[in-house]
Amino acid sequence: MIETHSLLPGVTLRCCRDPRFKQGCLSIQLVRPMAAQEAAMNALLPTVLLRGTTRHPDLRGITMALDDLYGAAVSPLVRRVGDYQTTGLYCGFMDQRFTLPGDRVLEPLADFLQELLFCSPLEGGGFREDFVESEKRNLISSIDCELNDKQTYAMGQLLKRMCREDSFGLPRLGEKEQVTAIDPVGLYRHYQKILLESPIEMFYVGSAPGEEVAALLKPLFDLPGREPAPLAPQTDLRPSPAGEYTETMEVSQGKLCLGFTTPITNRREEFAAMQLLNIIYGGGMTSKLFMNLREKQSLCYSVGSNYYGSKGIVTVSAGIDCGKREQAQQEILRQLELCRQGAFTQEELNAAKQALISSLRATHDSPGAIEGYYATATLSSLGLTPEAYIQAVSAVTAPQAARAAETLKLHTAYFLSERTTPHDPI
Amino acid sequence: MIQFDYPELDETLYQEILPNGLTVAVVPRRGFARSTAYFVTGYGSIHNQFRLEGERYQAPAGVAHYLEHKMFELPGDRDVTAEFAALGASVNAFTSYDMTAYYFTCTQAFDQCLRLLLEFVSTPYFTQESVDRERGIIDQEIGMNLDAPDSVIFDNLMAALYENHPIRIPILGTRESIREITPEILSLCHRAFYSPGNMLLCVIGDVNPKSVAEIARQVLGDEKRPVGERETAWQEVMTPVEAETVCAMEVAMPTFSMAFKCESTGAGSEAIRREMVADLAAEALFGESSELYLWLYEQGLIDSSFGGGFETLEGCAMLCVSGDSNDPRAVREAILQEGERLSQEGISQEEFLRMKRSALGRRIRGLDSMDGTCFRICAYHFSGFDYFRFPEIYRDIRREEIQEFLGRVVRRERCAISIIYPLDGEERQ
Repeated sequence: MIETHSLLPGVTLRCCRDPRFKQGCLSIQLVRPMAAQEAAMNALLPTVLLRGTTRHPDLRGITMALDDLYGAAVSPLVRRVGDYQTTGLYCGFMDQRFTLPGDRVLEPLADFLQELLFCSPLEGGGFREDFVESEKRNLISSIDCELNDKQTYAMGQLLKRMCREDSFGLPRLGEKEQVTAIDPVGLYRHYQKILLESPIEMFYVGSAPGEEVAALLKPLFDLPGREPAPLAPQTDLRPSPAGEYTETMEVSQGKLCLGFTTPITNRREEFAAMQLLNIIYGGGMTSKLFMNLREKQSLCYSVGSNYYGSKGIVTVSAGIDCGKREQAQQEILRQLELCRQGAFTQEELNAAKQALISSLRATHDSPGAIEGYYATATLSSLGLTPEAYIQAVSAVTAPQAARAAETLKLHTAYFLSERTTPHDPI
Repeated sequence: MIQFDYPELDETLYQEILPNGLTVAVVPRRGFARSTAYFVTGYGSIHNQFRLEGERYQAPAGVAHYLEHKMFELPGDRDVTAEFAALGASVNAFTSYDMTAYYFTCTQAFDQCLRLLLEFVSTPYFTQESVDRERGIIDQEIGMNLDAPDSVIFDNLMAALYENHPIRIPILGTRESIREITPEILSLCHRAFYSPGNMLLCVIGDVNPKSVAEIARQVLGDEKRPVGERETAWQEVMTPVEAETVCAMEVAMPTFSMAFKCESTGAGSEAIRREMVADLAAEALFGESSELYLWLYEQGLIDSSFGGGFETLEGCAMLCVSGDSNDPRAVREAILQEGERLSQEGISQEEFLRMKRSALGRRIRGLDSMDGTCFRICAYHFSGFDYFRFPEIYRDIRREEIQEFLGRVVRRERCAISIIYPLDGEERQ
């Protein structure tokens, strides 16, 4: 189903030819180690590339070019996959069969990507200063705006504290101070450097044959002096000292986040058991956490758990009444204890299997999901196709799921609470 | 069933109205693993005043949403969510201003899932105890929205724009109004609006259309039941109640949402045409390819969070735009000025064609999303239009219409803005 084309050393194109869709997608990712000294630059880079080219010198020119391609979209793509960070572009475009006669989509889009990647307007040996400065402001405001969604904010704070000694504790978009320190020349040099040394992953989903796409994209990264270095393999979580934290804010609902560690990562055989355990425990509306904290005890509106397989972390987050923190935490831990004892029914295990299998089966139903699954799986060393993954999930037994629960250790608690001192209304 | 083909979109739609009044719409998607079914009533948070069998009723705010939560329980302690999970499917629901939708997605056991969906949505079962328990959950949900800037800013804007239209009240109701909701009120609203004649079943996936209609008929029967008459004659002038509404919250930078009041679009294909004209006008005024967007972006007045479009609902319509900005009022002034300029100068034919092509392409791409497509088919169904006819509507729109819309709508006297400022720095440590 997925064809892999090694276009050049360190440049891989994966293609999924599928005529069912009305749109296609293409992603281009430069793969980097997640590191404090470059995370912010990698996050900023694609936004600067998308500001203009020598031929389409401003945002309006860029959008008009995309409008001509039937409303194609090119957006910055910055992912964190375990110890790696990727930086690049993601395009979505209408399938060829809906165009007016004679119009093409993929070929002009490839030309346009070439232009975005390699024809940035330069000044004084760097990117244009006004582009860089305004995108820095935007990036800083998106970092700041994570505060607006309290659930996301609280989860970010938990992971930051829990993974202080690990690359996983670095925020995906870098820290504000690092963004501030970026200058146009430094950013351009960094870009030139990573173009020459990074492994590059491209992924195409659409109706065109793989060979055609390969021929179209091969010239993109045929750069003189390019010597890609392989990346260090993914690592397990390097633990930091455990802790308990409370922060107060002007909120009416508290957010309780708990972080657990487990040696089980997606590189280990017990991975499928851990995924299932996570679903039984806190994944979705039939989970133990949802059924007990929300449905039976009305302790919260939202509650759920998440498993980060690349690192071996399970987190729980709950939106609760600030006065009910103790009660909620006890109940969250009690439900985990029940999982450890294997106190879940065959139905609960089967339902978890069905849910996971169903979502894996549906992977092939949308270009975005196909790209997301394979592009991430490859990088995180999850060596399973959705089909093989389904097999592994089907084979998990109840004792295996309970054993996965036994490996979970509470590491860090973070509570975002309401401020108790009154303050003047504005 | 009647088969409608849309070769331009590579789509086929099967439709039938059952003897009980239910509309069944099926869009087959061969070769896809996932199927999804939406069972939807044209009843939402704005329909609190209605008549049923000669009586007139006024329900508390938030009842449509409360009812949605309570539908998931069945007699005999049956838990609907768990039953779907056991079939390997996932079920969910949402309540909007004018619809309540129940839907599932599955990759197997479609027929069983469909039966279960139809059964639980048409079975009212409300005990005092479970209605009381739900109040705690909805209270938390309201609390969550009160902490969410996006939701506060929008609710504030609606309250500033509209004097009488119930869009000014949050979909969830208020902590006070939900205290008035009883099992009897829930039963009454269910009886009024969950009759098949007020509902649509929309299915997308690798399914047999005839068997979908047959299952619906078996589960729901042939009886036609009365449907509540919604009282929707809300009087609105085109001037907002307040031009500005401002508050402070835990946000990182000021954020705003503004809107221009528009005449209601009515129903049917004329309504959709008006909507698409307004969408293109929004694109021309402040879309990413507009001169205004470029100017605001380069001035640092907006960032990529900026965007907007035309919103329409029974009895009201508006051109909305929102985003983060350190100077929301300057953004408003720039939009007003540019609106005036465009209404005098218009846009070039070349720009107009490019915009249409782009809008059409984006809509075609959007068809790949089963949920998005189901949602649009349902929403347009209740306003009396077949969604898949959008290409012909686009073809028919002329550029003068864009100019006329902007001249009529983008005016200071129609505008309201809602702003949230950060709590001041000192208080935030």
